[in-house]
Order: sequence, then structure tokens, then C-alpha cells
Amino acid sequence: MKPRTGIGGNLIVQSLAQIGSGGLFLLTLLAAIPRSLRYFRETLRQLWFVGAMSLTIIMVCGLFVGMVLMLQLYHVLSIFGGTSASGMVVALSVYRELGPVVTALLFAGRAGTSITAEIGLMRATDQIDAMEMMAVDPIAYVATPRFLAGLIAMPLLTCVFCAMAIFGGHLVGVTWLGIDNGTFWSNMTAVVDLRTDIVNGVLFKSLAFGTVVSLIAVYQGFATPPTSEGVAYATTRTVVASSIAILAIDFVLTAFLM
Amino acid sequence: MTDFVHATTDDSTLVRIRGLTTVLNGKPIFDGLDMDIPRGKVTAIMGASGTGKTTLLKHITGQMRGDAGEILVNGQNVATLSRDQLFTLREGIGYLFQNSALLTDYDVFENVAFPLRQHTKLPEVLIRNLVILKLQAVGLRGAASLMPGELSGGMARRVALARAIVFDPMLILYDEPFVGLDPVALNQVLKLIRTLNQTLGITSVLVAHELEAVKQVADHVFLIANGKVVAQGDPRTIAEDGSPWTRQFFGGEADGPVPFQYPAGDLGKALGFAGLAK
Amino acid sequence: MSQPRSSYAVGTGLFIVLGFAALAYLATQTTSIANVHQGASYTVDAHFADIGQLKDRAPVKIAGVRVGQVQSISLAPGQDAADVKLSIDTRYDRIPLDSVASIYTSGLLGDQYIGIEYGHSKKVVANGGTLALTKPAQQLEAMLSKFFGAGGVADNLGGTYSVTARFNNVGTLSVGAPVKMAGVPIGSVQSVQVDPVKLDAKVTLAIDKRYDQIPDDSAAAVFTSGLIGTQYVAIQPGGSPDVLKNGDQLILTQSAMQLEDLIGKFLVNGSSNGSSKPSTTPSGKH
Repeated sequence: MKPRTGIGGNLIVQSLAQIGSGGLFLLTLLAAIPRSLRYFRETLRQLWFVGAMSLTIIMVCGLFVGMVLMLQLYHVLSIFGGTSASGMVVALSVYRELGPVVTALLFAGRAGTSITAEIGLMRATDQIDAMEMMAVDPIAYVATPRFLAGLIAMPLLTCVFCAMAIFGGHLVGVTWLGIDNGTFWSNMTAVVDLRTDIVNGVLFKSLAFGTVVSLIAVYQGFATPPTSEGVAYATTRTVVASSIAILAIDFVLTAFLM
Repeated sequence: MTDFVHATTDDSTLVRIRGLTTVLNGKPIFDGLDMDIPRGKVTAIMGASGTGKTTLLKHITGQMRGDAGEILVNGQNVATLSRDQLFTLREGIGYLFQNSALLTDYDVFENVAFPLRQHTKLPEVLIRNLVILKLQAVGLRGAASLMPGELSGGMARRVALARAIVFDPMLILYDEPFVGLDPVALNQVLKLIRTLNQTLGITSVLVAHELEAVKQVADHVFLIANGKVVAQGDPRTIAEDGSPWTRQFFGGEADGPVPFQYPAGDLGKALGFAGLAK
Repeated sequence: MSQPRSSYAVGTGLFIVLGFAALAYLATQTTSIANVHQGASYTVDAHFADIGQLKDRAPVKIAGVRVGQVQSISLAPGQDAADVKLSIDTRYDRIPLDSVASIYTSGLLGDQYIGIEYGHSKKVVANGGTLALTKPAQQLEAMLSKFFGAGGVADNLGGTYSVTARFNNVGTLSVGAPVKMAGVPIGSVQSVQVDPVKLDAKVTLAIDKRYDQIPDDSAAAVFTSGLIGTQYVAIQPGGSPDVLKNGDQLILTQSAMQLEDLIGKFLVNGSSNGSSKPSTTPSGKH
């Protein structure tokens, strides 16, 4: 056991150390991008695992988020007789906040943990060492392709999530609650702006979240002690650290972008 | 890639270790270790668990670096090589991991083909033929489409061996190749080590503690304890050299130069009898 | 490459295509981009004394049908009227020159848009032409303030006296709500209770002692400040020579009105204070 100087101080020092070594790891990953271009197919393969395999959960969750949002908004807005605006509010809240944030949280749980666990197990079973021995750089072959795949997958998944949420909102609002179809779309198109909402809201935020979540997932996989407890612990760490980072960065980005 | 096999040095020693000293987490692992591994022979490194046999292999491949001393592999000082030079060196070294370390994402064929795909631009047909030949050499050509999870321990080790020799290396390092094998699998591995050494002339280094198995393949044995080579010689006669180290290790005695007790303070004190003892 | 690798590649390709399709869908179908590219259009000027909350790209409608959008809004130096350029689809190129452009609000809380009501002239507005007849945005606040005086709660209630008033319906009137006369706060609501026998609401008003000359036949009414604001009690003075004293009861009361009734009245009676003479009746605009 390491001596404890005090839980609070320890926590701050540990967090700082984590952020510091995470940042250094990011530099390592970025520096390995030229070398990992040779392993382009590996990046594509990871894109399949972290991106395409996450589609189901993202689509289902997007649909339900859109549906429940419309249901709630309809009841609140009906107090003011403003139900015709509910499609617009669904679109704005999904584009600006819910889409990027919920997608990132789901991605951390679905793909981030599997990246961490996979790398942790590769270390535990000497696969990383074996690559070193076969003169293959594990950073360029294992870490960077997964990082890049997460980076690319996140904005795409967020777009799919948003489209499904709009579809879910339309389903509940127009098909079920009887909002006029034309009103639904015209109110939305009148207010949603391509630059502030789609580019800044959906794309920029999801790119930032993709960077952070993939970095944390890959980093935890490499930083963990290569034992089964280490892997279990690291997987939990990935979810906790990713969630905190996502919400904190979301606040900062919103404050700057809005 | 195969230059190293034919690289000519007048030296008959492939790996020369001089004065290797390593401290890991405050615990000394090697303390001025000297060792000469002869070219074209099978050399066994033996010792009790925790004496740093695997760590020594990692020093030879440059995965770990000592605090002092030097390791020359084929005349190159491992500690001074850059990462790219190390990678070039490692293409001439095969390494068999204790738990085989097959890539779980790929089937047997792709595992053996992995080094070829990474380091060559050979046409697919040639890669296929090379891989099939290597799998045939370890007797697993029929298992080419299995995934690593479907293999038994002995089979996985033979696949890993096929992968290690796919580049026809000058040196193969076997990390505990006999652990956890049934007698049949053990004999298969022994036969492979012998065949590879005799037919291809590959220098082999194996880390093991099974003297009976070692006796069948090794030409030379080093016994490591306390960070030094404490005995060496022919495996058939080393047990009779009379030193306390060999007597304990090969005789299998519980206590001896390797203490039964992990270093600890006074037992009476630990039990709270300090006051009574005085 | 072996078989599994290429199936990954196909699946990954599908995933990327799906992601970009979703992005394209979001960008073109749910944003204002959907309104931008509408084919050929021509530009018409209109000058408004007050544009209210009108924004760029707000819709231009004829008979409620979208025919174009606001292209730009500017204020020329030295002018007191905003210059609004309207971009109108060339399909609707037969707008009479004497048509009226008005700024309306869609619904009570919606965004503003420009509605064009056709005139009777034989001449039509050409590209670059000007619609001379306009009606500016009607500020809801201005209209409402005609009905109710706005103001804060009276503070510094050094000494007060209490009077009671009975209402059939107090709406959402709560304790602490202001009591106003001629729009000026003169006190606050001290308690709101339901009378278990008469089954109506008994409201106790604390009125500042400075206002001790209120006729005892004055009427009390529950009003709403603004559209969705809080409710308050308004005292409408009567003509009696006797004044209210502590503990008196106000006989004449008017209960809280439903917001819908109020709006209805406003929409029917709301008068235009604009610079133009509309050729259609304002009540026909919705």
C-alpha cells in the first residue's frame, strides 16, 4: 500500500497526473499518425467495430430520445398554446445538446469500454509485447487506428442519432399527437441554422467528444496493469472519466460557442 | 530480412552479455551477469521462479534496458540502438511467448502471416505458400482457419512457433516452452526445437525449469541465481558439479542457498513477543 | 486480402455512407437551408415604421401561403423607416402595386412574418419595385399597456388598512400580489381564502394609509399584467362621497378573466396605429 497523505490532496494530484499523462499520450498518438497510415485497413476495421457496431444502440436511443422529448414538450407547450413549436424545440435541443452528449455517453459505454478492455487483454496476453517483438509498433498498429476510428465514428454516429431523434419526434408529434406535418417542418426549418446548430452544435461538439472519449479509452487500455483486475478497473475508469470529461467539455464548448 | 542468418562474424558467440546490472522497483534483478550464447547451438537458461529468466530474454530483445553492462547481439550493442534499428534487429529474432500471445482478432493463418504482411509486400500467393509451409512444419496446416480461442495450449504454442520462424530468424528465444503441456505436446515441442536447430541452424535460447526436458535438447545450460550465473555446463553433467546451487535446484530441496523464507524481520517480533524475548 | 477483411470494409463503408447521409439530411431538410434554394425569385422593397422582431429569412406569405422570404433588413441613415427587401418566388409575379405588406406574428408567441394582402390595381410590382403600403409590427406590449397600467409592487407600506372583497373566481391571484388604482400600486393582497358557506373567494387587501380617500362604492377586479404575467387586483374608483375604512368590504367585484377571453377582445378591437390605411379589415388577418 502506498502511504496516503490525505484523500483530497491525493485525488487532486492523481487527477492532475492522469490529465498530464493523458495529454502526453495524445501527443504520442498524433505523432504515430504518419506511421499508422500503413495500417489504414486496421483503422477501417476498427471503424467497423466502434462505429458500425454501435449503430443499433445509437439509432434506438436516438429514436426514443426524440419521442420522449416531443411528448414532454407537447405537454409543456400546450399550456401556452405553442405546441406547433415543439418540432423546432426538439430539433434545437437535440442538435445543440442531447445529440452530441447522449451519443458520446453511449459511445463511451459501448465502444470506449470495449476498446479499453480489448487493449488491456492484449497486454495481459502479451499480444502487445508480441507485436513489439515482431517489429510492429503497437502505438501505430493498435492505439492510433482505434483512436482515429473513434474520432471519425463519433460525428457520424451523432448525425445518425439526431436524424433518428427528429424522426422519433415526428412520429410522436405528427403521427400520434396530431401536430400538422407542415407546421412541424416549417417551424423547424425557420429556426435551425446550419452553422450554429449543425456545424457548431452537432459536428464540432461531437468531434471534440470523439477525441476525448477515444483518447481516454485507448489511454486506459495502455495505462492499466495487465491483469484481469487491472482491466476491470480500467473499463470502469473509462466510463467514469469519459462521462465527466464529456459533460465538462460540453459546458465549456457551449459557453464559448453560443 | 534474412541477412542476419548469414552475417559473418568470426565470433562463435551470437549473444554476449557482460556485467549486466538491472534494478527493478528497487529490487536488484541482475548483478553483474556475464553470459555467452554460442551460435548455432541450443542454450538453456534455468533458475528458480523470480530469478529474472524472462527479464533476461527481454533484455536481449531490447524491450528492457539494464542499468549497467552491455549486451551484444550479433555484434550490435542492444542498449545503444535506436528504435528503428531495434525493429530491424528484431526481424531477425523469433520470440515464443509463454502464453503464445497469438492475436485474438485473427485466425491461425493470419497470425502466421502477420509478420509477412507487416514487413513485406509479397504477393498474396507467396504469403499463402510460406504460411502453409511453416504451418506444415509445426504440423498444423489443417488448423489454418481456426481462431486462437479454439486451440489447445500445445497447438497455440506451435502456431506461435510457426509465426516466430516465418522470417527464418537467426535466433529464437523460447520463454518457458514446456509449461503446462501434456507429455505428447511436450515431446512435439521438443522435437520441433531440435529440428529447427538442426535443419536450419537457428540459434535457440530457452528458458525453462524442467531439467529432464532440457537434457533432451540443450547443448549448454546456465543456472541463474541472485542475479548471477552460478553454474553452467553440459545439461547431462551439471547436476553433479557439487555446488550448493545445483544441488538445491536440481535436487529440488526446499531450503538451501535459495531460502525458503522470503526475507522478513524477526518472527518473534512479528508475533508480538518482542517484550517477552527480552 | 482474405474474406473477413473485405466484409469489414463493406460494412464500414456502409456505416460511413449512412453517417454522411444523416448529416446531409439534417443539413438540408431541417435547417434554414431548406428554405434558401427555392429557384428563381425577384426582389421587392417595403418600408416599415417598425419591424418588431422580424428577422432575415422570415417567411413572406400571401393568404397564409409562403411565397418568399425576407432577404435583408436595413436602416438607411437619416431615415426613420426600416428598408426591408423581400425575395419573392417568380411564380407569384402578379402582385398588385397597391398591395399592403404587414408584419404579423404567427400565433401568440411565434416568430414574425410578412403578410401581403392584394390590392385592386391593374399594375403589378416589378423586380426592384416598392410596396408603398405597409403596416408596421404591432407591439403586443404597447397594445396591452393600453388595457392595463404596468408597474411594480408598492413597497414601503408604512401603515395599511384592510378591506375585503369577494370574487367568484380569483384566477391565480396569490398572497402578496399588488393592488393597483389607475395602474399605480397602492397595496397588496394580504390573504386569499375560500368562504366555506358562500363558496366564493374572500380576498383581504392591505391598502396604504396614504390612499384613504377611496370611495366606498369602488369596484375591485382581478387583472393580469401582460400576457403570461402574474395577476393583480385593480380598484376602479366609484362616485360615493363616503370613503373606505379599515374592515370595509368592496361590494362591486369583477372576477379574473380567462386569458383566452382577454386575447379575443384584444384581437377584435385592437386598432392600428400604423402609417398606412389598410385596404382590408384587420380582423381578417388571421
